[in-house]
Amino acid sequence: MSFKRIKAILMHEFFITKHSYEVINDIGIYPLWSIIVFGYLTIYLAGVTGSVIAHYVLVGMILWQIINITQYSIAVGVLWDVWSRNLTNIFISPISYTEYLLSYTISGAIKAFIVIVLGSFLSLLIFKFNILSLGIVNLTLYFLNLAFFAFSFGIIILGLVFRFGTKIQAFAWGLITFFQPLMAVIYPVSILPKPLQTLAYLFPPTYVFEATRASLSDPKIQWSYSVIAFFLNIVFCIFAIAFFNFMFKKSKEVGQFAKLEG
Amino acid sequence: MSMSVLSVSRLTKRFGPPTGGFTAVNEISFEMKEGEVLGLLGPNGAGKTTTIQMLLGITTPTEGTITYFGRDFFRNKPDCLQRINYTSAFNTLQGRTTVWENLLVFSNLYQISDPEKKIMELIEYFEMSDLLHKRYWDLSAGQRTRTNFMKALLNDPQIILMDEPTASLDPDIADKTLTLIEQLRKDRKLSILFTSHNMPEVTRICDRVIFLDHGKIVAHDTPLGLTKRFQSAELKLTFDEKKDAIEEYLKKEKQAFRFDGGHVVYITTQETDIPKLIFDLKGLGMWITDIEVKKPTLEDVFLKIARGKSHVFQKN
Repeated sequence: MSFKRIKAILMHEFFITKHSYEVINDIGIYPLWSIIVFGYLTIYLAGVTGSVIAHYVLVGMILWQIINITQYSIAVGVLWDVWSRNLTNIFISPISYTEYLLSYTISGAIKAFIVIVLGSFLSLLIFKFNILSLGIVNLTLYFLNLAFFAFSFGIIILGLVFRFGTKIQAFAWGLITFFQPLMAVIYPVSILPKPLQTLAYLFPPTYVFEATRASLSDPKIQWSYSVIAFFLNIVFCIFAIAFFNFMFKKSKEVGQFAKLEG
Repeated sequence: MSMSVLSVSRLTKRFGPPTGGFTAVNEISFEMKEGEVLGLLGPNGAGKTTTIQMLLGITTPTEGTITYFGRDFFRNKPDCLQRINYTSAFNTLQGRTTVWENLLVFSNLYQISDPEKKIMELIEYFEMSDLLHKRYWDLSAGQRTRTNFMKALLNDPQIILMDEPTASLDPDIADKTLTLIEQLRKDRKLSILFTSHNMPEVTRICDRVIFLDHGKIVAHDTPLGLTKRFQSAELKLTFDEKKDAIEEYLKKEKQAFRFDGGHVVYITTQETDIPKLIFDLKGLGMWITDIEVKKPTLEDVFLKIARGKSHVFQKN
């Protein structure tokens, strides 16, 4: 593991983000805008249902950005180099794919952290909701679990992109939203139909969002939810790494990796 | 004697199922010496690109071994990749970022100890200082080529793989690029594996060439050696009169020929027969006003191979 190579990819990510309005929009403006929209929905719902339930929506939307931004950073990060025909140049350097994935995870987590801080500040300023009311330890556990899940999800998408090329590139920014309803981001799992509830509890973020809702009523540390989410994350991560390894190996065997750049 | 920096043995790549699949590269073996420029040539689909992809580790071979600097590539990949580099007309750097930013990223990927100093050295060598902060996308084709070369030289490689580095460049920039390659080779004792479809430039810079056809090596020699295996040359004679006498003579000598109008004849013959032919025709009283001998070139070798006549070049 080389710190210098990880630093190289972090710099690469920073330079691309700095020069790309699309990236700034996708991981900055759009998430903050969503938080604002859902914040106003919260104000409306607070009048109808009471503030705790209304805050489910706002806090769910703020924390959802951790998954959204981190997985986007991992999965879309590689596409910038595919589109620029630069991916070969990176992979013929001595970088290992562990270093590569770790770099994108760090980069995604940093971006997610910045957006969460900004989103939290906006929600305090506009909607008078202080996310710190969930408790610092809780927030840290939620952040780590959600970022962990996003890493696993991101590398599954990355494996698919390496194996099947840009024809499935829309998965990089779109597939996560397909699973969003199952993770009970802004509503309790209990409102889902029974079969979907079982499915929902297979995803680590479901426990995090349930814990978040519990924290809104009682800010004590939600260890049980966080520990279950963490263990599920480990299982999910092992599967994701094995899947990525298989796809990466297969991609190089069938020549797809070299054809990624067209 | 120069040591071998790259050794390829029985390298094979099959795509698809074992039966009914497609063999892109079929048991090729070759070596490249230190400081040598080795051309890897062949028509489209011959297996050049797949070979380069395997040599870079981005496509996994089905069989065979690749050895860089005496070490197995796949067992020592990071070490080998640290000592080689690659440039191609078909790969570019990150277009959204500047020349400086691109080079800074790659110098860190190659763990260069003083990246800024290294980049500035290359910038001076390539006379690119005024373009440092320009985005890669905004560079001209020639400037991009120079930037690609800078990236390829960041780690002071001992081997550079160049996949058609002059493709899509205008003749002036292509010539400057070739001069640059010649200069780099002289200055740094680089070994270069070079692919191109431009035979004059291959003849100009390659010490040896390997011709691939349908995934196999069909010829392997110096450019001069390969053209010498080409038996025939074309003699173009322009004359004043006596067309009939010339025709009669050439038929008698069993020469292949064709007339172009009433005063020009093209004779395809053995290079060694040319002096005798001219002497005999002069003896017929023919007044020759112009003589042109077209010797075989690497282009002719390429065309023969591309047209399925590679057996002509096999050494006995």
